[in-house]
Amino acid sequence: MNSQETVFPVITLKYRAGDLIIKEGDYGISIYKIVEGKVVIFQESEDEEIALSTLGPDEIFGEIAFLNRAKEIRSASAKALEPSVLEVWHPSILLKEYEQMPPMLKYVADQILSRLLRMNKLIVQLTIREQNQRKGIKKQDPLTSQRRYYRKEIDLDCHYRPVGLSSKVRLPGRIKDMSLGGLGMEIVTENTTSFSHMDGDLFVVETTLPNGKGLELEAKIVTLSKGESSKRLILGMSITKLSAGAKSLLGFFLMPC
Amino acid sequence: MDIQQLMQIYLSDEETYESGDIIIEEGSTGNWIYIIMEGQAKVTKRTDAGIVTIDTLKKGAIFGEMALFGKLQDKRSASVIAADGPIRLGVLDFQLLLRDYEALSPQLKSLINALIRRLKESNDRVAAIVVEANQKNRQTG
Repeated sequence: MNSQETVFPVITLKYRAGDLIIKEGDYGISIYKIVEGKVVIFQESEDEEIALSTLGPDEIFGEIAFLNRAKEIRSASAKALEPSVLEVWHPSILLKEYEQMPPMLKYVADQILSRLLRMNKLIVQLTIREQNQRKGIKKQDPLTSQRRYYRKEIDLDCHYRPVGLSSKVRLPGRIKDMSLGGLGMEIVTENTTSFSHMDGDLFVVETTLPNGKGLELEAKIVTLSKGESSKRLILGMSITKLSAGAKSLLGFFLMPC
Repeated sequence: MDIQQLMQIYLSDEETYESGDIIIEEGSTGNWIYIIMEGQAKVTKRTDAGIVTIDTLKKGAIFGEMALFGKLQDKRSASVIAADGPIRLGVLDFQLLLRDYEALSPQLKSLINALIRRLKESNDRVAAIVVEANQKNRQTG
């Protein structure tokens, strides 16, 4: 074990306060150990820096990209808060060790990682919502106050139709995320050939929640974006009509506790 | 080796819990490490404003693993509660996993420790944000 330590390739680097060490979205799998100084790990969202944690001597960072090699993309940025001395571990040996780790331990490590990524995503989502609230968007749009509620990522089959049309019209869709204020729906692009799908268009959306209860609401399109393939579109919708019964049903479904 | 085969080596026991049963209690000590074989569990944290659910774990998920890599005296950092019907759990052989872990190089150990510490921090962070948001909701009605 000690022999591995002596051959471990290590480079030492110095940073000034304010220097960017890792940029979110970049490729890279090196791991950094702080010898001296202080480093902040943050994510950027809508031009805001959202701090995930502040690290000091003997702590390491950059490990997420290393373990999540499917992507090799940095999930967060790192910046020196003070003049800092860092040790950079070359990943190749560590990578080999990781691969050769007993499989059950590797499974455990992978599980920890996926939970960590999930929690970090949640932190960013929750923080953005808080910031939007502080900026007073609430005043511009009465429905925005409701977006404070937990936005849940889901995958629910649904049907929708333009408001005013017979309920015999049933366009298929999948609700991918939902809050009391709005929802994201994935549809096949074909749907747009038979009915208009423009900003402001109103639709009746019907779905069945996992508890078996049916839910109906009205929502308007606020954004249109490309889905995972050219055959799919994502509709960002803002809820415009929600009955008291449907609201409490949805409220229960969305409750984070 | 897939997870089924691994389980045959590492599984030391099986346990079943009903919906609402507490599997791990925050603040207690213990070093069982579980894998969910069937069912779901909620991860909750105690806060000044009550109990907050921060995550839902599904089939294949591991929990209780923080005890393995942290100091053994460490208290459980969150509760895990059976959700949505009965849950079947595999209890992993702690000694076997610990032996695997102890044999790792110091760098790899630091790496895994860092992940666990980060997960703990992120869990705390989520709980704090949820509490703050709930309090604001209450103030604004």
